[in-house]
Amino acid sequence: MVEERLILLRDKEIPDINNYDVYVKNGGFDALRKCVSDHSPADVIQIVIDSNLRGRGGAGFSTGRKWSFIPKDHPVKYVAVNADESEPGTFKDRQILENNPYQLLEGSLICAYSIQATAIYIYCRGEFWDLAHDLEACIEKLHKENLAGENILGSGWSCPIYVHLGAGAYICGEESAMLSSLQGLLGQPRVRPPFPTQVGGGLYYEPTVVNNVETLANVPWIINNGADAYLAIGTPESPGTKIFCMSGHIQNPGNYEVPLGTTIGDLIELAGGGQNGKKLKALLPSGASGPVLPLTDEVLNAPCTYEALASLGSTLGSASFIFMDEDTDMVWATHRMMEFFKHESCGKCTPCREGTHWLKALMDRVLAGDATESDVERLEVVSIQMAGKSLCALNDFAINPVLSTLKHFRSEYDAYLNGEGAKAASKKPVPAKA
Amino acid sequence: MFSGFWMTIKHAFMDRPTISYPEERRPVHERFKGRHALKRYDNGLEKCIGCSLCAAACPADAIWVEAAENTDDERYSPGERYAKTYEINMLRCIFCGYCEDACPTEAIVLEHEYQLSFTNRRDAIYTKDMLIDNPPEGREGTPQTVEPGAFDRSIPDMENPK
Amino acid sequence: MSELVTIYIDGQPYEVPKGANLVDVAKFYADNGIPVFCYHPKMEPVGMCRMCLVELGTIMRDRDSGEVITGENGEPQVRWFPKLQTACTTTVTDGMVVRTNTDAVIEARDDMIEFLLTSHPLDCPICDKGGECPLQNLTMAHGPGRSVFYWEDKVRLAKHVPLGELIYLDRERCIQCARCTRFQDEIVGDDVLAFHERGRELQIITVSDPPFDTYFSGNTTDICPVGALTTADFRFEARPWELKDIASLDVYGPEGANISLSTRLDRDAGGIVIIKRVMPRQNEAVNEIWISDKTRFGHHHTRAAERLTKPKVRVGDRLVEAEWDHALEVIRKHIKPNVSVGAIAGPTLSNEDLWELRKLAQAVNAGAKLSIYPATMTGGDIIAQVGVGVGTNFKDMGSGTTIVVVASDIEEEAPIWYLRTKVAGDRGAKILVLNARETRLDHYAADSIRYDYGAAVSAVNDLAKHEAVTNAENLVLICGAEGMTLEQHGELMNACANLLVSTGHVGRPNNGLLAVWEGANVQGAFDVGFSTEATAEMMAKVPDLLFIAGCDPIGESAEAAGLSKAKFIVVNSLFDTPTTAVADVVLPSQSFAERDGTFTSGERRVQRFYPAQGVIGQSQTDWRIFASIRNGLNGSAVQRLTAGVFKELAGEIAAYEGLTYPALAVVERQFPDVGGDDLYYGGTAYQNNGGLGVQYPATSEAEGAKPSKFATKGKKTSYKGLTAIPVNRLYDRGYLFKYSDELMQQRIGEPFVVINPADAANIAGGSRVGVTIDGVQYEALAVVSEDAPKGFVLMPKRLTSQPGPFAPAAIETIEVIAEPVGA
Repeated sequence: MVEERLILLRDKEIPDINNYDVYVKNGGFDALRKCVSDHSPADVIQIVIDSNLRGRGGAGFSTGRKWSFIPKDHPVKYVAVNADESEPGTFKDRQILENNPYQLLEGSLICAYSIQATAIYIYCRGEFWDLAHDLEACIEKLHKENLAGENILGSGWSCPIYVHLGAGAYICGEESAMLSSLQGLLGQPRVRPPFPTQVGGGLYYEPTVVNNVETLANVPWIINNGADAYLAIGTPESPGTKIFCMSGHIQNPGNYEVPLGTTIGDLIELAGGGQNGKKLKALLPSGASGPVLPLTDEVLNAPCTYEALASLGSTLGSASFIFMDEDTDMVWATHRMMEFFKHESCGKCTPCREGTHWLKALMDRVLAGDATESDVERLEVVSIQMAGKSLCALNDFAINPVLSTLKHFRSEYDAYLNGEGAKAASKKPVPAKA
Repeated sequence: MFSGFWMTIKHAFMDRPTISYPEERRPVHERFKGRHALKRYDNGLEKCIGCSLCAAACPADAIWVEAAENTDDERYSPGERYAKTYEINMLRCIFCGYCEDACPTEAIVLEHEYQLSFTNRRDAIYTKDMLIDNPPEGREGTPQTVEPGAFDRSIPDMENPK
Repeated sequence: MSELVTIYIDGQPYEVPKGANLVDVAKFYADNGIPVFCYHPKMEPVGMCRMCLVELGTIMRDRDSGEVITGENGEPQVRWFPKLQTACTTTVTDGMVVRTNTDAVIEARDDMIEFLLTSHPLDCPICDKGGECPLQNLTMAHGPGRSVFYWEDKVRLAKHVPLGELIYLDRERCIQCARCTRFQDEIVGDDVLAFHERGRELQIITVSDPPFDTYFSGNTTDICPVGALTTADFRFEARPWELKDIASLDVYGPEGANISLSTRLDRDAGGIVIIKRVMPRQNEAVNEIWISDKTRFGHHHTRAAERLTKPKVRVGDRLVEAEWDHALEVIRKHIKPNVSVGAIAGPTLSNEDLWELRKLAQAVNAGAKLSIYPATMTGGDIIAQVGVGVGTNFKDMGSGTTIVVVASDIEEEAPIWYLRTKVAGDRGAKILVLNARETRLDHYAADSIRYDYGAAVSAVNDLAKHEAVTNAENLVLICGAEGMTLEQHGELMNACANLLVSTGHVGRPNNGLLAVWEGANVQGAFDVGFSTEATAEMMAKVPDLLFIAGCDPIGESAEAAGLSKAKFIVVNSLFDTPTTAVADVVLPSQSFAERDGTFTSGERRVQRFYPAQGVIGQSQTDWRIFASIRNGLNGSAVQRLTAGVFKELAGEIAAYEGLTYPALAVVERQFPDVGGDDLYYGGTAYQNNGGLGVQYPATSEAEGAKPSKFATKGKKTSYKGLTAIPVNRLYDRGYLFKYSDELMQQRIGEPFVVINPADAANIAGGSRVGVTIDGVQYEALAVVSEDAPKGFVLMPKRLTSQPGPFAPAAIETIEVIAEPVGA
């Protein structure tokens, strides 16, 4: 049985680590002090590049390289922390924010130091309002301790931290939509290029590093222990640990931090297997947005890395593993996901705005038992019509559940076409407790 | 010569092909294209929405339409728009039926009336009053006063286009 | 746009300007219309509609040597993007390869059209856009011709949502392209429209009170690629294909906005051809493709029921209708040789009218006074010397250019200049605003300089040291006359000219002076020999014989009351006005829509307008009326055609030398290509088919010209006590605009005065007050606001039927007539 390796979820070991003094007693802010006193900003970026830390928001892009794109001599630069954790089944950032906030803040400050940012903005999803208030108290503490704000640790570098609340839009988890929302504009993705790291593309059109909470929380550990130590964990392509948000029909739902490369089967074992001993049928490895995987032996033995899941035809994404047991009605589940995407499409691009509407309308028909064979084909037609034609990825996320369930669970659709769907509809997945 | 007489006598006793028009009239074919009529729905509202497509289709430029907006107090047609002025110049009309084909609401129909004669050019211009059908039995004509919000579509719903 | 790069579109190489937008260059250089809905050549691309998806790649080059990598067959290797890319968000670079005709592209277009149509109603037969609709056209060109979706599942939304009085929104038709919101935000700067909700529920709302509060709302209906935004003015008036389009010009402002009059026969108007709508006509040097709502919706006066149809002659104390011959005979009889003569020309008289009026007046008395109404501004001769150089175009102004606006609330006085100044500011031009009060342009100004009313001249003189002026590569001064007497404005114009001459910003494009004239052809009037000084002299000493044409001085201006003392007054007018009431003979003249002629814009561009509307009654063109009177007096020859009059004028007026009607009608291809059949691209603005006009050179542009300095006394005027400052409002009850339909009337609003809180101790905002000036009480709604400087009360001109002051005037008392409603 695998064991957890706790770099991020240190609250599992140290109960009160969300207390400043406890955090400092356990090595807190050593990394930041070390950076400011011993390392030049370029050194810090190099360490992070060497560690091959990959973005935990979903895309898995090299974090250090992203930081290195920021123009050095531009006067105004920002760090924007993406805490708009809205992927269904994802609750890892929340645990960090709630139980280990100083580690995130330290990571953000190291990032800010490495690009010599002029401010840090933390964008929390609208539902995190109590967390945001707690976070503000933490930030106040840092300002008091001269770890943020003016002339940090006497280095002459100043960087205040601000927390901003969203208004409850999934799309604002997309980096450019998040930046627009931060600016007070409509939360819609922007045209890229210019990318956020470039002049004209970031927050207030200044170069900006946008990183996920989990990504930044890794940084203090990397600075303290060195890039090589980090590389030793996980696989060479996907080093480090990853928090897996296990939910759905799993015995012990919750966050599990294990090294990348742990197999899916081991993870299921870690979380106690299927709920009430039932056999698990399907896995949504990346919340609603990644293609659904049937839990075949091939999948169970696959290591959880960005590459391995891609080769299985899915994606690791934010690693929010939602499990569904043998009794789950996959058509019903797909319908729920379509409802979600229809509701969350920002409406900027035509294919997504109209496509999600029609996918939902067609799923309605399937679920109501009114659909014909041609309607199921139509689902596929619409998905192909949408694929790859939008500004951001939401459009492509939205078609994943449909196409993957059609591929792996076609028989369940057929049951609906044959009028046997209503029976199946009584079986619904139990919502996970975070 | 005799064959000529025979022909005459034979024809004298044959059925007469001529009729005493106008007392008698020949029936016309079902698809005969005579004078136009503007149709109404069963509720008495006009089918014409004043879209002017008939005028656009007309090869003889015989149709003149001016549109206006319906209100719930003065409603002529179920949609937003109706024909305020609708005129066909029968001297110009060539009865080709393109207007009927162009009409999106089947409002204009070429009917069987063909007795169109005038003594001056102005009389040849048939106005909307002359063209429009009478309201169905027991129904009021237009304009009608209707419940606010009873008609909220811009044009009456058409069939599912297949 | 200097450096050229080579790109390949569908296999063909094209030399195009580096950094230009791919959609623009494909259309302009390759005649390849990449379909777009959300992209508009005047706005930043957003890539929303996804209609412009193309296959995009670049020719591969060796990283080290820069050599083109060729494949086995010698063809250059192309690195393609894995997915289709939006052309609208792509700027061209060297070696770019574009494919617009592959299966993938065609399929993508099919898909986008199908998606858009699934939520779009099928009410084209009654839609005002039907027939000139980008969605219709692109569906015909690129649509799949079928749909896999269910009709019953279509969304149903509100069909008739008024966004303000002027514009209607049809939510069902909207395809969420955001052109309207972006136009308001990016180009006008009034972000009064916004998106509400998200996803399929995304919809346009107005966020201002009153709703859709902007002077440019009509332009959104032009650029709307569907019939979602339509004007209340044109609603169901005609189908676009039934309209005949006549090139014309704006009659209200000094900008010379090019318009197109869409005309059609109308039963209700007595079977004549009338204007159904006014559309912008592309002239990239003048108004691009934008017009203000006043220009667009202010056309109703041309066929108002109040239009005069027959001449009137005074019999005792009454004016009675008479035949033309009789009226002309009466005039002829009353004109004694060498009586003192004055002619007052309104700002909408064409150059031809002015020329004939001058000839008539001078035929009676060589020393005739030729004057311009309104007599608020002067310096037409200064503009002719140091006006902006030929080739000046706000579109070319950006970084390095400084635009100074002096003493003008330019949004109200010249909205097109306001808009173009604002956009130039967005491109990097520095805007300086000099005014005694805050105006809308201050928001975009690099620096706002406040002076006290009466001290504008010294403020302009101080500008010579201002960093934005000393560092300016190009300098344009836009001069108004707010809070000034005619004399003070003359000083100000001198000061402005002086600044330009002393800093060397004259005689070349994008440099020089503009005056915010009150009307369309004031510059023409100055050029033909009329002046505002003559008006002032005439008011002091009223001549015996007075010709008044195209204006209503007695009805609008308190200072003009004395004109009624003239012994014999002939008025050419469109309507019965207080001025016609004191006339001895009233002659019905024609509006701009019924006739042809030329106007000279504030930029000295001479432009033609053409006859569009059927003639109302027996009205005649002003120049023909003057010529007939002159012919009756001395039998001198009369031109038959307007073109002939212009030819004669051009022969006599030096500045107009060489100008002919054909020269004014020349049209060149403009970038971007707007108008024509490709409505999807630029909107329904019209292609220019009436001529771009000709800008005549200022004298400072002549080779070797050394403009002399202009002397100013630099005297400050200080005001004591409360002073009324007459200000211009775009929507007023002036001579022509008064006859707008009720839609516009709501926007004009009731008369008001703006009082500084410090001066309004006993006056609550919203109360009705009586402002007494020179013994006359003006009733108005009191607005208490810092917008008015302390000690001054802003009094908009022409809001009441009562003639008001046109120059600063001392206020005797302000009394409250009624407390605010609900107080």
